[in-house]
Amino acid sequence: MTTIIEARQLQKHYGGPLAVRDVSLAVNEGEFLSLLGASGSGKTTTLRMIAGLESPTQGSVLFRGQDITHVPVAQRDMRMVFQDFALFPNLTVWENVAFGLRLRITRGRYTSDEVKSRVGQYLETVQLTGHADKMPHQLSGGQRQRVSLARALVTDPPVVLFDEPLGSLDANMRKVMQLELKRLHRELRKTFIYVTHDQEEAMGLSDRVAVLKDGRLLQLGTPDDIYFRPNCAAVASFIGAANVLDGVAATTPGGTVSVELAGGVRLAAADNAAGVANGEAVTIMLRAEQVRVAPAAGGAADGVRAQVTERLFLGEKVRYELKVPGTGLRLTAMSSGGHPGLGLGDDVLVSADPGHVRIIARGSAPRADA
Amino acid sequence: MSVAAAATPQDRRQLLIWLLPPLLWFTVFMVIPYGMLFYYSLGSTEYMTFKPGFSLANLVRVFRAEPYLSVLLKSARIGAFTAIGATILAYPVAFCLAFHTRSARAKFLIYLLVIVPWWAAYLVKAYAWKTILGTNGIINALLLDLHLIHEPLTLFLYNQFSVVLTLVYIFTPFSILSIYAQLERIPTSIIEASSNLGATTLETLTKIIIPLSIPGVIAGAIITFALATGDFIAPALVGGPDAIMVSNVVINLLGVAFDWPMAASIGIVVIGVGTALISVSQYLEHRAQARF
Repeated sequence: MTTIIEARQLQKHYGGPLAVRDVSLAVNEGEFLSLLGASGSGKTTTLRMIAGLESPTQGSVLFRGQDITHVPVAQRDMRMVFQDFALFPNLTVWENVAFGLRLRITRGRYTSDEVKSRVGQYLETVQLTGHADKMPHQLSGGQRQRVSLARALVTDPPVVLFDEPLGSLDANMRKVMQLELKRLHRELRKTFIYVTHDQEEAMGLSDRVAVLKDGRLLQLGTPDDIYFRPNCAAVASFIGAANVLDGVAATTPGGTVSVELAGGVRLAAADNAAGVANGEAVTIMLRAEQVRVAPAAGGAADGVRAQVTERLFLGEKVRYELKVPGTGLRLTAMSSGGHPGLGLGDDVLVSADPGHVRIIARGSAPRADA
Repeated sequence: MSVAAAATPQDRRQLLIWLLPPLLWFTVFMVIPYGMLFYYSLGSTEYMTFKPGFSLANLVRVFRAEPYLSVLLKSARIGAFTAIGATILAYPVAFCLAFHTRSARAKFLIYLLVIVPWWAAYLVKAYAWKTILGTNGIINALLLDLHLIHEPLTLFLYNQFSVVLTLVYIFTPFSILSIYAQLERIPTSIIEASSNLGATTLETLTKIIIPLSIPGVIAGAIITFALATGDFIAPALVGGPDAIMVSNVVINLLGVAFDWPMAASIGIVVIGVGTALISVSQYLEHRAQARF
C-alpha cells in the first residue's frame, strides 16, 4: 500500500498549551482513516494543517512524498467537507457544486459542457437532482451536507477531508449519512480522512482509527486493534465501556498469571500475560460486555461477590454498575441477555474469562486510590 | 386569534396604558409635525405673513421655478458622490476589521478609531477642513514650501469638491459600520471552503465576499446619501455659492424670506423622494440578502 499523506511531527501552538504535539501519521491511498478524540484533542487542528487551513508551528505535511507544508490551500489536491457545510449562500445548489469546476474552466482544465455533465452526475450521486435550482437555505441539514459532499467530490480530488461532517445533524440523519459515506468511499475509492468525536462512528466507518488526546496521538490502528488491544488506559477508557484496573501480577510455576486487584480480588489473565514477572505492577482492561454477571442466588459456580449499585436499561443492553463490598473495587458490566430479576442492591457473582483480561500497561506504580 | 379579541376589557385597558407613551411620542413628534408641514405647504404668503389655503402651487413651483429643482438635483448629486466616496473608503476598512483583525483588542482599537471622531462636534470637524483646504491652509502651505506653487491655490475650498470631501470624511463611519456588520455575518468556513475549492483570494472576493456584502453596501450608501443630501453645515462652511444645497435654501426661505409654504413644499418633495429611495433600496437590500 502506498502512502498518500504523511504528517511528520506536526505541532501547533496557539499560545497556551500545545494544541497538537508531535503528531506523526501516514495515510494510505484509498484508506478511510478517522481522527478520533474529545474536543480539545487536536484532531480538527491536525486535519486543518493537512488541508493547509492552519500552518504548523513545527513539522511537515507530505503529499505523495512531496513536502506541501508551505503550499497554499487553493493549490492542494484535497477537498474539505465542513461541519457547518459552508455552502455559499449566494449561490444555488447547482452553482455551489459547480464552483470548483468553474474555477478550473478558466484554468483550462474543464470545458463548460464537462462541467454541466459532471455537476449533473454528482447531484445524482448524492440524490439531489431535483434540487439543483434551490438556494442552500431552502434545504434540510442532510441535504445541505449532501451538497457539500458533491461540491467536494465533483472536482475529483484524491483526498477528501471531513471535519465532523455529521456533527450538526440529528441522530437519524446521521445514521443515514454514515451509510452514504461508507458507500461513497467504497464506490469512489478515494482517500477519506475523517474527524469525529463519536467513537462508534469512527469504529464503524474507518479502516483505521487514530485516537488523539490533549494534542497527542495515542494509538493508530484498525478498529479491532483499538477496541481489543488498546495501548494505554486512556484509549481503553475512551472507546466503549471498559474497566481499567490497577493490580499486582502473581505468577505460578505452571505459567498462569493472575492479577490481584484492590481488596485482594484476583482475576486470572491469559490474553497477553506471558512474560509478566511475579509481583510486577500492571494495569488491566476488562471490557464491560466481557464481565459475566450472575445472580448470587442462582447457584453459579464461582466468582467475586458484588452488589448492583446502578442498573441502566439501554435497549439492546443492560448496564450494571457494581461494587465489591469491603474492597472499594467498582466495576461496569454490560449484559446483552438480561437477568430480569436483578435490581438495585442485589448480590451478584462476577467473573471473567481469563482470555478477556488484557494487560495494557506494565510496571506502573499502583494508583493511590486503588 | 388576535390579541384584542382574546383580551378582557381589563386587559385592553392595560394594553392602552402601555401603548400610551409611544403613541403620545409618535403623535407629538411625528404626526403633528408632518401634518403642519403638509398644512403649511398648501398655504401662501402675503406681505411676509402666512396665509392658510388649499393650493398645490408651491409644490408645482418646486419643479418649475428656479433655483429649486436644480438645487435639489445638485444636492442629490453631492449626496451620491458622498455615498460613493464613503463606500470606496469604508470597504477596505470594514474588510480589514472583519477578516484581518484577529485579536479582539486590535478590533476594538480600530472600532474606536472609527467612532472617536464622532465625539467631536460636527461643526468643529467641518471647520477643520476649512483650515486644511483654505488659502492659508495646510495643503497650500505644503505646496508653497515645496515650491510647487508660488501663490496659494483657491481651488480646494468653496466648491462642490470641498463639500463632498468634508461630507465623505464625516459620514464614512456610517458606511464602515454598516458594511462591517454585513461582512461580520459571513462565516469563516465559507471563505475557507472557497479557497479549499481552488479559488484565489481575488476570486473569493469577487465571487463570494462582495456579493454577500451588497446589502451592507446598499444600507451604508443610503444612510450616507440621505445624511449628505440634507446637510447644511458643510455647504455653509466649506461650500461656495456654487455649493448651495437644499437645506440651505430651506433655511433661507424660513428665516430670511419668511416663505414658509415654499419651504414646506420643498420639505414634502424631499420626504417623498427620500421615502421612495429608501423603499427601493430596502427592496434591493432584501433581494440581495443571502440567508446564511
